[in-house]
Amino acid sequence: MTPTTRTRWAILGLTGPAYLWLAGTIFLPLTAMLVLSFLDKSPLVPQPASFTLANYQAYFSKSFYWPLTRWSIELGLWVTLFCFLIGYPAAFALAKRVKGRWREAIFLLIVLPFWSNALVRVFSWTMVLRSNGIVDVAVQSVFPGAPTIDLLFSYPAVIIGLVHSYLPYMILTCYIALQAIDDSLIEAGRSLGANRFTTFYRVILPLSLPGIVSGAALIFVPVIGSFMEPRILGGTKGATLGMNIEEQFTVTANWPLGAALSFILLAIVLVIFGILYPVLRRQGGGA
Amino acid sequence: MTGKTIDKMMSLKPVSRRRFVAGASALSLGAGLGMAPFVRRASANTEVKVLNWQGYGTDEAWALEAFKAATGLDVVHEYYNSESEMITKLQTNPGAYDVIVTNSAWNARASDLGVIQPIDTAQIGHFADLNPSFRDSPLLGTGGNVFGVAWVWGITAIAYSTEVYAEAPNSIEVLWDAKNAKRVSVRDDAIEMVNFAAIATGQDMNHPADLGKVKEKLLALKPNVALLWSSEDEWNKQFQAKAFDVSIYWSGSALRSKTNFQLPVGFVVPDEGAVGWFDGLAIGKDAPNVEGAHKFINYMIDPTYYVDWATKVGAPASANSKAMAALPDSDPSKAFYSDEAAIKRLQFMAPLSDEERQAYSDLWTEVKTEFAQ
Amino acid sequence: MRRLLDGGIRFYLILVLVFLYLPILVMALLAFNKSPLYGLPFEFDLVWFDALANNKRLLTAGWNSVWIALANTLIATSLGTMAAVAFGRYSFRGKTLLQALLFPPIAIPWLVIGTAMLVFFFWSGIGRGLHSILLGHVALSLPYVIFVVGARLNDYPKALEEAAATLGATPWQVFRRVSVPILAPGVVAASLFAFAVSFDQFVISYFLAPPGVTTLPVEIYTSIRKGFTPEINAISTIIIAVSMGLMLIVARFYRFGGERSGNE
Repeated sequence: MTPTTRTRWAILGLTGPAYLWLAGTIFLPLTAMLVLSFLDKSPLVPQPASFTLANYQAYFSKSFYWPLTRWSIELGLWVTLFCFLIGYPAAFALAKRVKGRWREAIFLLIVLPFWSNALVRVFSWTMVLRSNGIVDVAVQSVFPGAPTIDLLFSYPAVIIGLVHSYLPYMILTCYIALQAIDDSLIEAGRSLGANRFTTFYRVILPLSLPGIVSGAALIFVPVIGSFMEPRILGGTKGATLGMNIEEQFTVTANWPLGAALSFILLAIVLVIFGILYPVLRRQGGGA
Repeated sequence: MTGKTIDKMMSLKPVSRRRFVAGASALSLGAGLGMAPFVRRASANTEVKVLNWQGYGTDEAWALEAFKAATGLDVVHEYYNSESEMITKLQTNPGAYDVIVTNSAWNARASDLGVIQPIDTAQIGHFADLNPSFRDSPLLGTGGNVFGVAWVWGITAIAYSTEVYAEAPNSIEVLWDAKNAKRVSVRDDAIEMVNFAAIATGQDMNHPADLGKVKEKLLALKPNVALLWSSEDEWNKQFQAKAFDVSIYWSGSALRSKTNFQLPVGFVVPDEGAVGWFDGLAIGKDAPNVEGAHKFINYMIDPTYYVDWATKVGAPASANSKAMAALPDSDPSKAFYSDEAAIKRLQFMAPLSDEERQAYSDLWTEVKTEFAQ
Repeated sequence: MRRLLDGGIRFYLILVLVFLYLPILVMALLAFNKSPLYGLPFEFDLVWFDALANNKRLLTAGWNSVWIALANTLIATSLGTMAAVAFGRYSFRGKTLLQALLFPPIAIPWLVIGTAMLVFFFWSGIGRGLHSILLGHVALSLPYVIFVVGARLNDYPKALEEAAATLGATPWQVFRRVSVPILAPGVVAASLFAFAVSFDQFVISYFLAPPGVTTLPVEIYTSIRKGFTPEINAISTIIIAVSMGLMLIVARFYRFGGERSGNE
């Protein structure tokens, strides 16, 4: 489309308010943080600060940052993968197989657990995952001698807690993308002799890709910065980069280092999505 | 949006910075619209604003009622979750707080930054009764000025399950004991962990000469550590669920776990020593109610209040000798905090330089990374 | 065969819902349990609801959270949907950049954003208060709204709108009859998430709340030092139960799932 003056105004009018808001409350403060990440002292310290690259160098020179980064990314990938494996079929079922009032009801029921406090949910998970916890006691009372559940303070516990926290994003973004696909397109594929798998792979999956991408972005990105679930559910097994960033603000009062680490995290995210972007564009067809 | 609200909003602006304001506050006008009913009316002379950890003595409902009955002052709280956050809050909200609870290791930093003001000890009736070793500590005042009134002190040492241990474990080595595989919990706190490993390796706890030994000692904890706790709440819940038997814990919290929650907790200062700390009460720079602040501080070191706090809730030791003497002899904390031999074994937390904090934090992160492998 | 498949699909959906509600159920159960430390065995008691009824601080915090979340939902959903429509409907220079700019608010840990906001709001004179909390919440919710609505609009059916216009529909009719039904599922989902983001937002509220003003997450997180009692479970249970009731009523009367009328 060639942007005429009218479309230009439409674009400006539609995106302007949201981005002005973001600029005033997030981009400006974060720009200040970006500047801070190149200083050797926090702005609240009375001595004058000077320019340095030391905070970024620290990331590469300290031995523990690389394993922390790798684990954070791995955690993000596992959680996103499980959310997709569990969430996509659920979204498909809801979009294509459930009709009538139930559809709206289930749609709402999927988000509702989100309206509770994350910390309370995590502590509830500790009750579920530990031996002698609620589920364990219930299982043992029905089937005495059944193997005990003891997942607490392990890597799987962290994954379960995080998948639970982020699954609704995947289900609903996939749902709204899948639901927009006209059934007649699927029928057309079928009547042209394509089997179920081919129809799915060639028609449904590409058309629902925007939903998968949105869901993956909303899951992967926050998970790699997470620290609460790994800390409480992981015991000693949940070390993440997010925890170390937090420590730069609460223990060492080294804001410049904390800021630098955050921007490294952001850069990793942008690089990953930058690599995926052309692939997705081709696959998704549109956009 | 009313002009009054705008004024109020602008009045939050510090006196010294500029210009930029117009654009940003135009944004906030839109947001503030309709929120006017929520804006709290300040009433400086009938309120004392306190900045403290939540649930740490200053915010017990019965105490605030008693204080109000005596002085007519309401107490409003704001909380912090780490000492460096406390400093940030003081710096970014000048004139917002009357009384601030400052740790002995942080009071000097606050006074250096000019965010707290000298205290007029003549206005504090109980000041003379304070234990001189805390009252006159250089950590709470400089150059003849008192920047913090010694309030309470406590011990970070070893808590254990009395169901598992018939007798108190007397050595710090219990944390490293091979019998305790996966039965130990320590706090996810770099400074505290370095302190303990330094004590266990016979070094100065605040400034250990050999950090290599400290790291080695901490790495050796790996097979024993079941979880890293980060709040008293988490500690209680996990202890109740028997997730660990022995742990590094705070004295006041151990007493609370025992009195409030009837948990089978024992607490011991091991032979090698443990961490001691004390907290002061400070007055914020440009505090809106300086007179009320002095009254509240005096109330906080009052023996009657302390006895109630210690017996009803569970508290660290008071810095007021008379308050300690007023505790009923049956109270477990009285015997505990007056065990002179144990107190002699303590090393007290001292201020650390930024470089030391960073080094300890890096060391602990390295150890945790090894734990997670 | 088809019936069997449908049965299996329903069963799968139920399993997913069970997984999602498992901790919620545990949370609710523990609200009725006597032990303050989530201890077992279970002993039924209403003591935490009693305590909650007298806990003015917690109730006020709950109400503040609800109002902030509602205002946030309204503002963030409107602004975010507009931006998402622009992204879906037009291609223009700078679009990729604008979309990439949605990553910082979700990628940078909230603690860092919160600290940045605290210092910046102080420096710029915006100060602290419910107005600044709302400013922060909306900013954090916007990327979620834009992503979620965008999942619907990546293949925006401009042709449909244009066809309607050619057939003589007024712009309002086009909007009402064509655009709204297309947008509806995305907008509803986005608003539900916007509410959740705000309702559970701790760091921003914590940094930007003036003394004496508090929200539910702030109460919960700051009280973990001493220990939060199952009163928190009680208030969370009430909130979930009331929302569930309201939602089922809404689901009964409104169609927003995007089902095309006349399909059944």
